[in-house]
Amino acid sequence: MAQIQESGGGGHGKGGKKRAKKSSTHVDMTPMVDLAFLLLTFFVLTSTFSKPKVLRMIFPEKLDKIDNVKAPEVKDGLTLLLTDKDKIYYYRGSLKPTTELIPIDYTRTGLRKVLVDYNSDMLLKLQDIQKRMNKVDEKDTAAKRKLDDEVLQVQTASKQIVLVKNDEGATYRNMIDVMDEFMITQIAKYFVIDEGMAKLEKDLIKKQGN
Amino acid sequence: MPRSNPTLDMTPMVDLAFLLVTFFMLTSSFRTPEPVVVDPPTSTTKIEIPKQVFMITVDNKGGAFIDITNAAVKSRVFEKVCNQYGMKVDSLTVKKFAGSGAIGMKLSSIPQYLELEANERTKVNQTGVPYDTTGKKSELYWWAFYTRTEAHADFKMREEEAKTRKLPFDKSNYIQFAVKAASDAKYDAVKNVIQIFRDAKVKQFQMITGLEAEPSLK
Repeated sequence: MAQIQESGGGGHGKGGKKRAKKSSTHVDMTPMVDLAFLLLTFFVLTSTFSKPKVLRMIFPEKLDKIDNVKAPEVKDGLTLLLTDKDKIYYYRGSLKPTTELIPIDYTRTGLRKVLVDYNSDMLLKLQDIQKRMNKVDEKDTAAKRKLDDEVLQVQTASKQIVLVKNDEGATYRNMIDVMDEFMITQIAKYFVIDEGMAKLEKDLIKKQGN
Repeated sequence: MPRSNPTLDMTPMVDLAFLLVTFFMLTSSFRTPEPVVVDPPTSTTKIEIPKQVFMITVDNKGGAFIDITNAAVKSRVFEKVCNQYGMKVDSLTVKKFAGSGAIGMKLSSIPQYLELEANERTKVNQTGVPYDTTGKKSELYWWAFYTRTEAHADFKMREEEAKTRKLPFDKSNYIQFAVKAASDAKYDAVKNVIQIFRDAKVKQFQMITGLEAEPSLK
C-alpha cells in the first residue's frame, strides 16, 4: 500500500546538521478510494436509468346529452368481458340469452390467439405494407408517406370491431393487458363501454361459473 | 538486488472512481417522497413518459394523488384552486407546495401539512384528493381544470417568448396528463378518477406501465 514514510531521520535532533528531509511523495490514498467507491456504490444503486413507459389512451369528450349516444351495435363483432379473478370471456355477434361465452385467459395462447385470428385479414395487409416499406429507400419520404396513408386507410376500412366491457371485479391490470393486446394485434377499432356489462352478460358469466 | 516496496499506485483507480461518481451524481435525479407506492401493470409499449406531466397516482383503494413536474405551473395551479375555494395562502406556502411532491388530501389541510418538516410529512396518512363520482364539481375537478388551462397558458407563454427571442421552440414540454395506477386497483375505481378529468375536458392520458418483453404474434 502507498504509505507516507514516517521518521524522516529526526527533525529536531540535538546537534548535527539539519538536513532536508527526504520524505517520499507517496500519499496514502486508501481512505479516499474507500470514500470514492462508497459514493459510487450509492449513486449506482439509487439512480434509475430507464424512464417509465406509457400507453397512450384517448377518451372521447363527455357529451352533455348522453341519451343520444347509443352503445355501438355490432353484428359480427367481438365482445370481451373482463371479470374478477383475472378471468376473461368473449363472444361473437350480438347478445342473446342463448349466447355462449367462451372462457379464455390473458396469455399468448388465449386472448392473443383469439385476436390474431379475428384480425388476420388486416394483419396480412399490414404485413404486406411493411414489406414494401422495408424496400423503400430511407430518404424517399414521399413514398413513405404514401405507405403510411395506406396503413391509415386499412385501419379506417377495418370492420373488425372489439367491444370491451368490465364488471366490478375487473382490475386495472386486466384493462391495460387488453389494451396492450390490441396494440400488439393491431386492432384498429375498439370501444371500452363506460357502463360496463349488461345484466344479461353478468348472468351468463354467473351461469358459466357454476 | 534491493527488496522492492510493495506499493501500488492507486491514482488511476481513484481517477476512475471519481469519474464514475461524478457521472452518476450528475445523471441521477432524486425521487421526491411519494405518499403512496403503487405498482403499475406492465405493457409492451415503447413510448417514453413525456418530460412534463400532471401525475395522477391512483392507489388500490381508488384514492387520487396529484403532482405536477413543472414547479411554476404547480404553484400557479395551487393559487387558482385556493382562490376557487376562497382560501388565502401566502407566498411561502405556495413555494413550499411547489416542492412538496405528490399530495393527496383535501385542500383545507394542505397548509397545515406544509408546515411540517419533511420527515414528519411521510408519517401523515394521506387518503387522496376528494372527488365526487356523481358529477358535482369536486376539488379534484378544479385541480384538473386549472392544470389544463395553466398548462396551455404556460405553453403559449413559452411559445411567445421563443418567438420574440427568435429561439427554437421545444414543443415537447407541454404538460400532459399521466395516470399511474396500481395494477390491483379495480378498473372502475381508476375509471371514476379518469371520469373527473374527462369532466374537466382532459381527453388524452398517458397510462404509465412497466416494461414487458417484446411480443410475438405466434
